[in-house]
Amino acid sequence: MSEGANPSQSGMTPDSPAGVTNAFRGGIVFAVLALLLVAMTFFISSPLVPRIASILLAVVGVATAVGLIPVRGPQDYYGGLALVVLGTFAIVASSELPGQRSFAFGPGTAPRMFAGVLVLLGVAIAVVGVITAGPMIEKYKLRGPMYVIGGILLFAVTIRPMGLVPSTYAAFILSIMGSREMKWVESVIAAAVMTGFCVLLFVYLLNLPFQLWPQPNAHIVMYNQNAEFFRLIFGPLMKFLFG
Amino acid sequence: MSELLANLYLGFGVALEGRNILFCLLGALVGTLVGVLPGIGTVATIAMLLPITFGLPPVGALIMLAGIYYGAQYGGSTTSILVNIPGEATSVVTALDGHQMARQGRAGAALSIAALGSFFAGCVSTVLVAALGGPLTSLALLFGPAEYFSLMALGLIFAVVLAKGSVLKAVAMILTGLLLSMVGSDLETGAGRMTFDLPELADGIGFANIAMGMFGFAEIIRNLELPPESADILKGKVTGLMPTRKDLIDSAAPIARGTLLGSILGILPGGGAVIASFAAYTFEKKISRNPERFGRGAIEGVAAPESANNAAAQTSFIPLLTLGIPPNAVMALMVGAMTIHGIVPGPQVMTKQPGLFWGMIASMWVGNLMLVVINLPLVGVWVTLLRVPYRLLFPSIIVFCCIGIYSINNSPSDVLISAMFGIVGYWFIKHDFEAAPMLLGFVLGPLMEENLRRAMLIARGDATVFFTRPISGVLLSTAIILLIIAAMPKIRRRRDEVFVE
Repeated sequence: MSEGANPSQSGMTPDSPAGVTNAFRGGIVFAVLALLLVAMTFFISSPLVPRIASILLAVVGVATAVGLIPVRGPQDYYGGLALVVLGTFAIVASSELPGQRSFAFGPGTAPRMFAGVLVLLGVAIAVVGVITAGPMIEKYKLRGPMYVIGGILLFAVTIRPMGLVPSTYAAFILSIMGSREMKWVESVIAAAVMTGFCVLLFVYLLNLPFQLWPQPNAHIVMYNQNAEFFRLIFGPLMKFLFG
Repeated sequence: MSELLANLYLGFGVALEGRNILFCLLGALVGTLVGVLPGIGTVATIAMLLPITFGLPPVGALIMLAGIYYGAQYGGSTTSILVNIPGEATSVVTALDGHQMARQGRAGAALSIAALGSFFAGCVSTVLVAALGGPLTSLALLFGPAEYFSLMALGLIFAVVLAKGSVLKAVAMILTGLLLSMVGSDLETGAGRMTFDLPELADGIGFANIAMGMFGFAEIIRNLELPPESADILKGKVTGLMPTRKDLIDSAAPIARGTLLGSILGILPGGGAVIASFAAYTFEKKISRNPERFGRGAIEGVAAPESANNAAAQTSFIPLLTLGIPPNAVMALMVGAMTIHGIVPGPQVMTKQPGLFWGMIASMWVGNLMLVVINLPLVGVWVTLLRVPYRLLFPSIIVFCCIGIYSINNSPSDVLISAMFGIVGYWFIKHDFEAAPMLLGFVLGPLMEENLRRAMLIARGDATVFFTRPISGVLLSTAIILLIIAAMPKIRRRRDEVFVE
């Protein structure tokens, strides 16, 4: 899932209503994604359907980029294409699972079935985006998402090695920077209050097993954990590239 | 009838236990808080509080979580009326007339009518849940896998038709949810599906991760983009909480109608409190002799939607408790909560754990009574809370969510996964995709697939079984007809109008 929809994120940021550069960027993003999917189909045993789908998607992406497709509703159009990517990706990901045997469903039957329907729906939504005028995609902001997601990730990375108190405090401070009205003094105090409240609630009232302060071997824990995260994020890609 | 009374007696016995009263009060308080504060939704809150309920006994946990849901319906009206900021989506329409009433100095009357209407609706729907629980449960026992599958399909279609926005996109979201639910080990063979050999995904994607990512983090990121709201908090104290005799007479019929409409829409899958309040408001305006009063402080415009949203919040427990099918995103979270406590939602809950079933129903009435007390005399306290600026609120929610997610499995990877869903959810919002159908699809996914596979196996691979079995056939045809109707251009335009209002 994460690969399916994330990368398309950054790509289609319409800055101006002109639409030319946006169509170029959006089209290129989807062409690249589609080519990635095509590459993935070389590592599975029954590649025909997803390969055709992703090649078609790549063609559509290029056509969008050079302006051959008049996109009237960008919201629907790119949303639909993203669903096509997601569905095709799911077909690829579930292709090695055994399918229907006589009249019993295999583990792979339902995922492929639903993924196939999702691809068709994605196409339909994208077609709606071509034939009917729709709203533009609202501009993506960077500041808010960056600090908020950054704060969450900081928490994920530090909670185990550093313990509850430092990680909660740090995550609070980092995410509050996502707000334009942030004030330092107030934030520092609020972070301390919230950290205290969380410690009181989770550790003393609910008796959840939390480490409060850094572990003695924090750097080793941190290292192992970051390796784990790396595997979680890039694992799917590496599986296809290196088997 | 006597059986119903005996059951309710049992239920009140459980609900009035000291500890359970406390949980009920806690749920009602948190619910009111959530309702009052804009920017925190019910779904995110319940997801956030799931880990807290681990240590509680199952009855207490469910009573508390249920209290949050219907408590939010009360709290939402308070800020809608006084400050014109709906704290909950269900109170958006209340703000139209409620705030006008407050400007005319009738805030007290609006508040008390909203509370009384909610209380009346709460009483009626509690009885309704109790009365319908038994018959529906016995109906559920007639259901085979084919019927269950068709029922869930119908439920999902209902969710699509009643939701706002494009039908096509909502169906796509449901399918996305279904697909996501298939990540993890296969139910029958245990084969890892779409897991890429990652141990983190072997048990599937955690439900709480998705819920908090899509409803917690994504909403926060979204809210940060919006211009800061200027709260024109009413100066001066709210006086005269008692409504006049005329107010009571004027609002009696709307309250009754709102309760009826809300109860029906709550039972329907995909309905829930939001749609109920909108429908009730529109309905009142339609049948009113002078509709131009609406939007200028008509008391009917407060009474009907407030009764409807509370009624719907409670009756939406009916499909969950009797059939095991969550009709909306909040109920989907309740499924998660029940599963954590080892309870499989469905008809067997009532027979195997009557104390839990009836205790929960009885607690709804107790909770409603508490909410009237919490909301009316303490109204000033809640309004003061609005002075907490969002810039301090949102980091608190974020760290609270993070700790909550982490504590479910003691797994930092879960926090990472929900951060990813936060980004995905933000992208969804930008492309006008609704997250609620996806969550519903995700929760119903395993159940649906299991029943689909079982039905096909029993029918020896004959897919027509879904239409040849009478109950299943009726359910599925209804679903298909609904979908066709919703896709028809004329109806679609009507639908858009309703939601724009």
